[in-house]
Amino acid sequence: MAEHLLVVRDIAKSFPGVRALDGVSFTLERGEIRTLAGENGAGKSTLLGILGGALRPDRGSITIDGVRRMEYTSRRALAEGVRIAQQEPAIVPQLSVEQNLLLGLTRQQRKASADDIDRALKDVAQMGFPMDARTPVSRLSPAQRHALTIARAFAFGAKIVALDEPTTSMLEHNVAEVLSRVREIAHGRGVGVIYVSHKMPEVMSVSDTVVVLRDGKPAFDRPITETSSDDIVRRMVGRELLSFERQHPVDPAAPVHFEASEVSHPTSSAPLSISVRKGEVVGIAGLVGSGRTEFLRSIIRADEGSRSNVTIAGKSVKIRSPRDSRTAGIAFIPEDRKAQGLVLQTPAYANVALTADGQLNGFGPFISKKKQIAMAEAMGKRMSLRPANVTLNARQFSGGNQQKLVIAKWIWLGATVYLFDEPTKGVDVGGKVEIYELIDQLASEGNAVIVVSSDLPEIISISDRVLVMRAGEFVSEHTGADINEHSIVANAMGVSSVSPQNEAALAASVPSPERTDPADTGADAFGAAKGTS
Amino acid sequence: MSSATPDGIALRPRRQINFQAFGIYIAAIVLFIVLGLLNPNFLTAGNLRDVAVSASVNAIIGIGLTFVIITGGIDLSVGAIASFVGIVSATLMVNGGIPPAMGLIAGIILGIVCGAVNGLLITKLRLPPFIATLGTMSVFQGCAYVATNGKPVYDVPKEFVLLLNSYVLGIPVVVIVVAVVAVGAGLLLRKTVFGQNVIAVGGSEETAWLSGVRVHRVKIAVYCLAGGLSALGGLVIVARINAAQPDAGSPYQLTAIAAAVIGGANLMGGEGRIAGTLVGAVILGALTNGLVLLNVPSFYEQIVTGLVVLIAVSLDQGSKGWPMLKRSNKKDLTAAPPTASTSAVRS
Repeated sequence: MAEHLLVVRDIAKSFPGVRALDGVSFTLERGEIRTLAGENGAGKSTLLGILGGALRPDRGSITIDGVRRMEYTSRRALAEGVRIAQQEPAIVPQLSVEQNLLLGLTRQQRKASADDIDRALKDVAQMGFPMDARTPVSRLSPAQRHALTIARAFAFGAKIVALDEPTTSMLEHNVAEVLSRVREIAHGRGVGVIYVSHKMPEVMSVSDTVVVLRDGKPAFDRPITETSSDDIVRRMVGRELLSFERQHPVDPAAPVHFEASEVSHPTSSAPLSISVRKGEVVGIAGLVGSGRTEFLRSIIRADEGSRSNVTIAGKSVKIRSPRDSRTAGIAFIPEDRKAQGLVLQTPAYANVALTADGQLNGFGPFISKKKQIAMAEAMGKRMSLRPANVTLNARQFSGGNQQKLVIAKWIWLGATVYLFDEPTKGVDVGGKVEIYELIDQLASEGNAVIVVSSDLPEIISISDRVLVMRAGEFVSEHTGADINEHSIVANAMGVSSVSPQNEAALAASVPSPERTDPADTGADAFGAAKGTS
Repeated sequence: MSSATPDGIALRPRRQINFQAFGIYIAAIVLFIVLGLLNPNFLTAGNLRDVAVSASVNAIIGIGLTFVIITGGIDLSVGAIASFVGIVSATLMVNGGIPPAMGLIAGIILGIVCGAVNGLLITKLRLPPFIATLGTMSVFQGCAYVATNGKPVYDVPKEFVLLLNSYVLGIPVVVIVVAVVAVGAGLLLRKTVFGQNVIAVGGSEETAWLSGVRVHRVKIAVYCLAGGLSALGGLVIVARINAAQPDAGSPYQLTAIAAAVIGGANLMGGEGRIAGTLVGAVILGALTNGLVLLNVPSFYEQIVTGLVVLIAVSLDQGSKGWPMLKRSNKKDLTAAPPTASTSAVRS
């Protein structure tokens, strides 16, 4: 009996403060497609890094074709035919398709590679992305670039290929073609594939086997036929999925707390206005590019040329910059938390204290690190920050916990208006629920909350009222039973009744949409959110 | 919650920062030992005092620059400001007859004004710091020549020279000045809201802005600080050579940047240490002094200085590839596993 293609045995890897992998073992056969599933932070990226030779495991072994590899470096990995196709295509836009395929090969390898190039081009064509070898990659769409990355991974004597979220930029019908081609290549050429994806329908259709990582440990290892997407998701989270339900819906008699009128952005068409009652969560839905982020940024005057008239608790406040909006108690939690919400290389407590203006000082003009840490720890406790150690750099926290840090810097300051832009983007299932609970709690404390989100189930489950934005204007307002997927989508698209094609198009443009087929919704924790039509 | 996080981990980030600063100290100590072995005169009290004095100008200017570099900026005009201020202050004292203390204060104010010009160009006109200060470097240098038609100013009042170039209990006054500036700057950077904002602006300007930090104000302030300290550096030069030369500051233009960079300031912003810059200045001063003692022709000094900068920055940036550093530095490399693997793995 032939050896396994790849045996990963008892791999462990720790980063300071985090045990990323703890005793991971699995095998991969020739022609097998094995899905590596897990929440963000479960250790998938670390494992791929180790397989690619970029990271050194603390213990454990990697055996390829029956040979245990001791000095396992990136170069060794490449020589062994291990290819990692990153989520962000690692290609050079200025070079042509062919040059990109040849990138990194030695002269001898290039000479021998004519067939490989043809085959790679044929592969991309069969994935539904025909392209010419001489086209500069800068002229390719993101989906074409992904396809090229996949084809390149399979070329030049690949034996083991890891695909990390290979379909994020593709439309659904492309995904199907790509996946079927990946299966053909894997089975036809006997390549072992490690497939990483959050999209359960893809996982179910492409894989032969699945291994679920949870907290760096393998939690589940099965042939795909013996499991279901619900089962996999449950193993990922380690508990039954909760559909989130607001615990504190707004009191209908609550007074208006926050009003913004004449809100305009240099790029927007007409001035807008909004009002939010005490304890109310207003969701703003709409297609990407409909002007929702600009609306929030205009309220706090983050961009030059933006305007807004703001009234808080009946008093007009003058806002000319984010500084003024901070003073007025308006919190803005931006979409891109790494670049806009955090200073990654500084400690968590310093990030939380970034909104301080002397409140956390000790003696005279000097800050008190002790006070800053104590305050950040108190915030961390309230939000169950993990790890709870606030002296770690912000970089070392997972997406959901980073988001908690961003929110924390406004909570301790006593902000009463919270503007969230895509609060759970890139946050895993468990983290999402925590953030929803936090939003619910903020509302229950009498704050006014606005949530911009492209995640429909999210908007539906956390909002008291939903505004739909289209082309820079609010086109509809939904409350009660009218907060449902159908009517929101219809208004966002600007059609009175939604045809299935339109719904699919919208679904393709939002990160985690619900599909009509109930079997497809397993990927999403909120497949069972209220208001599902 | 984090029962899983052992307490020991809490200390690690601090230990790492210490280690980085440590590396520079070790390098400095090794340099002193080597120079001391090569020439026994190097480690005498008198010579070490000379080293300290010769490092002082780079230290003073470099500390101001450290703030600028932490915000992600650069100031190429520091040497020109030092020259300009030296000439103007000396002229005011020699020809205008103002008292030395006033000359000192006037000079520092002029330096702050020059810095404010840099800051305004960078924030209000949105010029890249490199371009803005490249321009003002030339303008300030030109002003220094225009002020006296290119002639040096001699016979600076004795009181002024004594103010900055004398000894208190055997310690040179400039060394005391450097110590005061360094302690003040350290407190400002690490112990005030302003300092935290400087680091935040350098780490992520957008984050700082959206968190309500007055980014423009912070930037203008750091350029004013750099201008003011460059002025002080220029005045120290005047006191040391007993005259004001219109281009006295230009040698410090790049060595001050070198001192900050050797000390670990990252030109990408967000990182930099006052103590590091001080040590960087001392290393440069010790090299200059040591090479003279070893009878190395002075032309080699620039080559050595350049090599030291290259080595220091390579060690700092490339510490990922240096096995000895690897164990302690792993965090930076791999704290965000996806990023680390993205940059390192090619398929």
